[in-house]
Amino acid sequence: MCLGIPGKIVEIDNASGITMGVVDFGGVRREVCLEYIADQVDIGDYAVIHVGFAISKVDEEEAKKAFEILQQMSELEELQWGSGEVP
Amino acid sequence: MRYLSEYRDPKVARALVDEIAQTATRRWTLMEVCGGQTHTIVRQGLDEVLSSSVEMIHGPGCPVCVTPLEQIDRALHLASRPDVIFASFGDMLRVPGSECDLLQVRARGGTVKVVYSPLDALELARRTPNKEVVFFAVGFETTAPANAMAVWRAKELGVENFSVLVSHVTVPPAIVALLESPDNRVQAFLAAGHVCTVMGWEEYEPLAAKYAVPIVVTGFEPVDILEGILMAVRQLEEGRHEVENQYVRSVRHEGNRPAQDVIGRVFQLVDRQWRGIGMIPMSGLGLKPEFADFDAELKFGLGGITAIEPPECRAGDVLRGRLKPHDCPEFGVRCTPENPLGAPMVSSEGACAAYYNYGRYDPATADREA
Ligand code: SF4
Repeated sequence: MCLGIPGKIVEIDNASGITMGVVDFGGVRREVCLEYIADQVDIGDYAVIHVGFAISKVDEEEAKKAFEILQQMSELEELQWGSGEVP
Repeated sequence: MRYLSEYRDPKVARALVDEIAQTATRRWTLMEVCGGQTHTIVRQGLDEVLSSSVEMIHGPGCPVCVTPLEQIDRALHLASRPDVIFASFGDMLRVPGSECDLLQVRARGGTVKVVYSPLDALELARRTPNKEVVFFAVGFETTAPANAMAVWRAKELGVENFSVLVSHVTVPPAIVALLESPDNRVQAFLAAGHVCTVMGWEEYEPLAAKYAVPIVVTGFEPVDILEGILMAVRQLEEGRHEVENQYVRSVRHEGNRPAQDVIGRVFQLVDRQWRGIGMIPMSGLGLKPEFADFDAELKFGLGGITAIEPPECRAGDVLRGRLKPHDCPEFGVRCTPENPLGAPMVSSEGACAAYYNYGRYDPATADREA
């Protein structure tokens, strides 16, 4: 829950009063809150997400590299939380 | 791209290791604060490669490890109540309380749900109005913006069956507590890059000045950590004590201001117990009085639940850097990741689990210090 996982923003939705969106993490998609970086990002940008919240924007190559390292370290389990696989 | 070519290249790591060895005229003692950094250091054996130049002490930066036993016991109590759905991040489920853990409470019929985001817990409360949903709000400054937003939204939307069991901790007071301890051996800190992505590093500047201790904001990848160590060793050799930022690609001096704003609207500084370490004044975040309706401790009257740490677990000595995990008599004997006796054995970011998972349990090959 501390390291944050980078992913690609594929949807942005302002309907609820705060900026939400969908982020793709190497094929796994999760709904996330984009409110804290709302003025910096567009669809197609990459961001580091902590427990469903985008905290910083990153560039694509940095995102891919960090994702790979987290994968090697088995630090991606968080993406399964609440998805049915880990009930 | 500068980093892609450089950071994937083991030659860069080698060159940094050599440069650290050449720069250090003596052996310095450094602490990495963040559990993610501990994981990388032990996994890659960076501490062993560098052992003639630096000793790495593994700090208290794993929220799973420092969440106090009594908060775990309160979580277990809530999760056992038939009227409560207890929602938590997945890594808190196996943390041992005084008698059992959340998984065991679930097996006995308690309702424990793993959520990805605290907003998912809030949504669960809106969908289940006939139950009380309590979310276990744990973590450092990295999860505080998320947990603060969930409470803020709950108030905004008037969700009355939602509350949070708060056990937030913050890094700077822990650094102060370590530095003020009479047997402190830490000479420089690697600060946690992701914490500083949220908070920036302004609050570390007075600490570096007052305690004359170098603090280097550092990422979690192997080459980040080597670079952070080199920057800290250079400062020590030159007699400087500043805050420097190794993790420039993520961290700005002021951090993420909108996130800090929401944290500041919902939380205030409170005294907090750290598991294994004890009370550190003004080291935690608790709900402001305006959000008292969302405080599970008040809502369910949990103040009476207190707990005493099992004496066999030496986590306090491990988290303060007085004992290496494999020197704990229970390490790998009664305490393993499958059956953890103490919290640092639960998460891959806890020092004991990192040592166990990466084979530091054979005394013949283990890195025995001092
Ligand atoms: S090895 Fe187990 S019992 Fe020993 S300090 Fe670590 S968590 Fe506690």
